[in-house]
Amino acid sequence: MIPATLNGYLAIAVALFAIGLVGVLVRRNTLVVFMCLELMLVASTLALVAFSRFNGTMDGNVFVFFILTVAAAEVAVGLAIIVALFRKRQTIQIDQLNTLKH
Amino acid sequence: MNSPHPYAFLALFAAVAVAFPLALLGVARLWARYFSPPKPSATKNDVYECGVAPTGDSWIQFKAHYYLYATLFLIFDVEVLFLLPIAVAFTELPVGALFAVLIFILLLAEGLVWAWHRGHLEWK
Amino acid sequence: MKPNYTELFAALSPEAALIVGALLVVVLDLTLGRKKIAEARWHAAVRIALLAVGLAGCFTFASGRPGAEFGGAFMLDALAQATRYSVLVLAALSLALLPGTARMRHPAEFVAVVLFATAGFSVMATAQNLLIAFLALELASLSLYVLAGFDKTRPESAEAALKYFLFGGVSAAFLLFGFSLLYGLTGSIELNVIARELGAQAASPLLVVALVMVLVAFGFKAAAVPFHLWAPDVYQGAPAPAAALIASASKVAGFTFFARLLWSGTGASSGQAPAWMLTLAILAGASLLLGNVAALAQRNLRRLLAYSAIAHAGIMLLGVMTGTRFGPGALLYYTFTYGLATVGTFGVIAIIERAGRCQDLDDLAGLYRRSPLLAGCLLMFVLSLAGIPPLAGFFGKFLLFSQALRLTGLTGPAGWLAIAAIALSAVALYYYLIVLKRAFVTPAVAGTEARIAVPLKPALALLLAAALLLALGVFPSSALRLVT
Repeated sequence: MIPATLNGYLAIAVALFAIGLVGVLVRRNTLVVFMCLELMLVASTLALVAFSRFNGTMDGNVFVFFILTVAAAEVAVGLAIIVALFRKRQTIQIDQLNTLKH
Repeated sequence: MNSPHPYAFLALFAAVAVAFPLALLGVARLWARYFSPPKPSATKNDVYECGVAPTGDSWIQFKAHYYLYATLFLIFDVEVLFLLPIAVAFTELPVGALFAVLIFILLLAEGLVWAWHRGHLEWK
Repeated sequence: MKPNYTELFAALSPEAALIVGALLVVVLDLTLGRKKIAEARWHAAVRIALLAVGLAGCFTFASGRPGAEFGGAFMLDALAQATRYSVLVLAALSLALLPGTARMRHPAEFVAVVLFATAGFSVMATAQNLLIAFLALELASLSLYVLAGFDKTRPESAEAALKYFLFGGVSAAFLLFGFSLLYGLTGSIELNVIARELGAQAASPLLVVALVMVLVAFGFKAAAVPFHLWAPDVYQGAPAPAAALIASASKVAGFTFFARLLWSGTGASSGQAPAWMLTLAILAGASLLLGNVAALAQRNLRRLLAYSAIAHAGIMLLGVMTGTRFGPGALLYYTFTYGLATVGTFGVIAIIERAGRCQDLDDLAGLYRRSPLLAGCLLMFVLSLAGIPPLAGFFGKFLLFSQALRLTGLTGPAGWLAIAAIALSAVALYYYLIVLKRAFVTPAVAGTEARIAVPLKPALALLLAAALLLALGVFPSSALRLVT
């Protein structure tokens, strides 16, 4: 049986993931949405580290290294897109981004 | 305890975690509607409601260069993440691993050279 | 197990060729291309990139020793090799569309990012390990976000990129959480170990959660209903060559990757129908219905293509279901031929855009008079999308539907889906014919009757795509033999 402490980590991971998801769906400012996205990634990271500890294999920890890198790359690309968009439109509110319509 | 499954609580937790922020946001919205309807005015929209009178718009354009520096820094910041384990295990690694790391650094260096040549490192 | 780096390099030489090509494109443009005009820089960059893609194709041929590589992290089976070839062909066609049509600044960067994306697709085809798979997917996705936002002259491009990025980011987060749960359940990130462990365990709710999360990510990537919202905006806003890549090579690699994940990693071998079958059937049915119906209402050519892509994604999901018993051949054949036709259509759009606007269906008016070559190619591509014999689109549909009917008979979900798909193909034919009517029958609007000059490389790419569609449609068995 898995020790109860793993459940604690998992619960926090699930909570972080859900809060991040709600933030992505509800918030209207692109930068905040962006932070919520990172929160979702961090949730998976926490779950991986916890599983790695309790499974006794290193794979999860190695996975986390790469997730951090990918998250950094995502930040770079995402911010670049936001900057490019702001230069054109002078706004980063999602509900004002509606030039693409039928 | 006759819990159906050791992981069943996760579903409950997810539900609670979704409901919690939604509830807070909803309460905030309701509160705003009944107790503090928005009355925007020039004074209220000021950067500081009291104190120093701001000059100009707060939405000024920062130089995009600041952001480029940050991105470049980020890349080499994260590089350490991979180099440190390599350094720790260095004596036990085969030659191939060294080559792999060199290729990795070469890729990053090319990025730096590119930014340099494009003039992104000039402080204007 | 001691990792063998020589073996690793031999297995990944195609991707290495692509990356080296990307670096060369950037360096040569920085050193030699400085004084040249943009047109010449595009030509030079694309020439190097095509060389790299060709080299990658040769290396793929040379690395054809089937089996697991590097401690099981990569799998070089027939599916992986065929997907690699498909992705390389589609990327080469997208690249060849660029010279003479693209108006973006920074040619070398665009081409280099296309090559990075292609390398990502190629690794996705071979990944046999959750970590490698995730990294490859992210390499490809991040490159595609950049490509979608590359056209700084149009604000729609950046907006499309942002939407693509946000949806893609959410999908990546879902995928990652699903992966972490799979790892937690089995203690391994290797697909074959995961399959073995899951086969030994009883089905658990956690596995269902993990599968649902992976399927959500899959839905985003494949643009299946209800995760399709990004597709119309991205197809409309992205520069045409980028949209071509997003719609074609990304689809092929994504379907191979997720199909491999579902087939091998999640207990399809345990005798009964796997748990994800029904979810997939629902996604497929919804995509078929909504894609085809919404496409009818479109006035914008690119959005029409996007909704038709959603409908096609429904058929491809059907292919993932049938692949459990009949192998990956039909799915890969379908995605590849669909990719060819889409790259071709976006190529036609790109060339028309050089002369003027090409967003609405009305912008196609009089195409037959303005350029018979473009109109003829468009005819081939659109008819293949609609599934008219003898083009490859017809055989792909025929193969998939007949397999679906054999999988469960008329009463199972796959059978119903196949029948629905056949019925909706008639609807699809209607909107495809509307596109062709604009191109062939409607006369050009006054002021836009000028002939369209077609640059050489894009013209060759279009002709090659059309020829491949015809050849694959007439001789499908020789292509299918590559996969099985």
